[in-house]
Amino acid sequence: MADETVIKSDLAFVKRLQECGGESLKKCYQCATCSVVCNISPDDKPYPRKEMLMAQWGLKDQIVKDPDIWACHYCGDCTTYCPRGANPGEVLGAMRQATIEHYSFPTQLARMVSQPKFLPVLLALPVLVILFVMKLTGTLGNIPAGTIKYSNMVPLLAIDAIFMAAAGFAVFVFVNGVRRYWKDLNADVSPWKAKLSDKSVISATIEVLKEFIVHKRFKECVTNYARATSHLLLVLGFIALAIVTAWSAYYEWASKFGLIPHKESPFSITEPIKWVALLGTILLLYGIYLIYQQRQAKANGAGFGGYFDWLLIWVIVAVGVTGALSWILRLANLASLAYPMYFLHLVSVFFLFFYAPYTKMAHLVYRTTALVFAKMQGRE
Amino acid sequence: MNASNKKILVIGGGMSGLTAALEAAETGAQVVVVEKSPYLGGRVAQLNKYFPKLCPPTCGLEINFKRIKNNPDITFYTMTDVTQITGQAGDFNVTLNVRPRYVNDKCVACNKCAEVCPVERVNDFNYGLDNNKAAYLPFDMAFPYQYVIDMSVCLGEACKKCVKACEYNAIELDMAPQTVNLNVGAIVVAGGWNLYDATKIDNLGFGQVANVITNMQMERLAAPNGPTGGKIQRPSDGAEPKSVAFVQCAGSRDENHLPYCSYICCMASLKQATYLLDQDPEAQATIFYIDIRTPGRYEQFYWKVRDRENVELVRGKVAKITQAPGDKVEVVAEDTATGNKVRRVFDLVVLAAGMEPSTKSDKIPLAVKYTDEGFIDPTGLPAGIFAVGSMKSPLDVAKSVQDGTGAAIKALQSLVGR
Repeated sequence: MADETVIKSDLAFVKRLQECGGESLKKCYQCATCSVVCNISPDDKPYPRKEMLMAQWGLKDQIVKDPDIWACHYCGDCTTYCPRGANPGEVLGAMRQATIEHYSFPTQLARMVSQPKFLPVLLALPVLVILFVMKLTGTLGNIPAGTIKYSNMVPLLAIDAIFMAAAGFAVFVFVNGVRRYWKDLNADVSPWKAKLSDKSVISATIEVLKEFIVHKRFKECVTNYARATSHLLLVLGFIALAIVTAWSAYYEWASKFGLIPHKESPFSITEPIKWVALLGTILLLYGIYLIYQQRQAKANGAGFGGYFDWLLIWVIVAVGVTGALSWILRLANLASLAYPMYFLHLVSVFFLFFYAPYTKMAHLVYRTTALVFAKMQGRE
Repeated sequence: MNASNKKILVIGGGMSGLTAALEAAETGAQVVVVEKSPYLGGRVAQLNKYFPKLCPPTCGLEINFKRIKNNPDITFYTMTDVTQITGQAGDFNVTLNVRPRYVNDKCVACNKCAEVCPVERVNDFNYGLDNNKAAYLPFDMAFPYQYVIDMSVCLGEACKKCVKACEYNAIELDMAPQTVNLNVGAIVVAGGWNLYDATKIDNLGFGQVANVITNMQMERLAAPNGPTGGKIQRPSDGAEPKSVAFVQCAGSRDENHLPYCSYICCMASLKQATYLLDQDPEAQATIFYIDIRTPGRYEQFYWKVRDRENVELVRGKVAKITQAPGDKVEVVAEDTATGNKVRRVFDLVVLAAGMEPSTKSDKIPLAVKYTDEGFIDPTGLPAGIFAVGSMKSPLDVAKSVQDGTGAAIKALQSLVGR
């Protein structure tokens, strides 16, 4: 038969989804309440009912390249109305985690990131790297007394080296993953019939980013409507801090090449760069605090999430809190606390960057890719 | 029968309770039936037709009422609650509270009181589809055939128009509640069911969207003694609907509402599709379902209705209902056969609401074990007490009757055993 479909059922994948927070997936009886109550699901081949069926059948090949799992914003309306407690929202979250695992290389590292028992090992890496660099630069156990200056502990050049390496690694893994993901998206007919639109990658990307920056889809959630705001605050916090990073790199390198006069960090509170840094920190901390609160309030309902979600929340908390405390302790001139705090700050930032392709942070990349693809196919 | 002179108390005068009472009494046992509403017959009295034979329940009810009238061993109390049960099998002391009807046995149901009565009440017998007077006959073949006054709206002494209008001195606005004490040997609990409150299903628009009704309201609309004289009409404007959607599992099979299948709703909707097509062969009936559950031999009824022209079945649960222009109703479901959402506009939408045991809201004054869903767990009943019909599980009329008969035997055995 020409239109014969071979169903490839991957039972290990079903188990994996169940481990990742989708333990309820077998309860689904395909009533499709979820597809209807979801405000962001389209009329044409809506989600998440079809994904629930794919999950039950273990259709890994179809799930990992299904862009619809990224169109889902984990509003939780489906889970709230699900008559069976099959929790489609959590199952789609598990699918996203499994997709990140599938496309990130090496997969073993992704598996480690998703299990609490490996957390000490994962943390050991940045600790050792930074200690090693301090040893190389001779600052280990040898920080000069006097006014606290974090570059006395790890020189700026070393910071650049460590974090360029960490970010470079992450980018390498991401590029590799997205390349494979993009190939899969285009190789196979997606669950819905693609209408070819004439949008280019560029114009589709711009449209998607425009929607992101106002969290257009997120705001259509009902059950977890408030999350759109807190997530947006967090994103704006990240953007502000990225600007600060680029800005200070400019100060550092432009002065090295004699383009501008040398500007010594730490920057004074009167400098605009410090204002942006403070604003970014406040947005980040307030956003993550709201997310923490909203998820805790949902502890027994739709939207609490699992270890995969909470790992990222705690890493962001760690980055924000250690960053703010490093600043405060430096101003208070408490060297014995300030330097260890800065050390923790470096560890948490390294963790965030280096493991980004394996943690929930990767949603940034895969969601964008999936939505750009969907846009190009004319799927809204 | 000489086994015992002990009585059997039947709590509930619906189909299960009446059957248990009659089967026991017709062997010579003394039976007392207690009913909380002003009439006997329960939910069956509100139905237009039985499935699968599509005959009216009135004839069966009439036969039962006649059996009661002719049997001196049955006494019954309407508008009565059981307030206390003490003792054990063979020797229960029961306290009844008989609420005043304000109309005595002299009533001949001439309707004069209702004619002069100036106030109206929501007609609960018709599930709120119309109003009747504060002095009213519950329905046209109510048993006892006797009016009743709804004191929650009656103007009382200030009005007294009905008292003056009644030629038979049947109205006593000062009638007081009565307490009755009974000693019985066995008790049959037949409290029946209530329709699940569809306003709790907030995505299905009941009470918010015009022309969204429940299946029991559909029964009343189609019944010849209903608010429209048996014409199926939209509540908003009285127009006869050309298209009707039936929304299955409105509350049933849903953890957030009724975590069980209500057993009868699929058959009820299929049956109601025939009401519509019998009224208007051009009309269109669309049934949205998760699974059509027509147990046992009912399968053939399903085939018969399914194969009728103008009956359409869509596999997908309706999860959103909104108002459309012209008092029409838009329903949204995912048709899981095509995998696309369907948005369809209908003249009328019928929610196939489920059964909730009456014990969910009205507990019987006994230490009884209830299931998580609120049904009586029959394994946890004290000796001498038996639960029947929809007290234990959702079921249809035929099974209620069988269960009532079974309970009569068990009650009789328990008396003999003393």
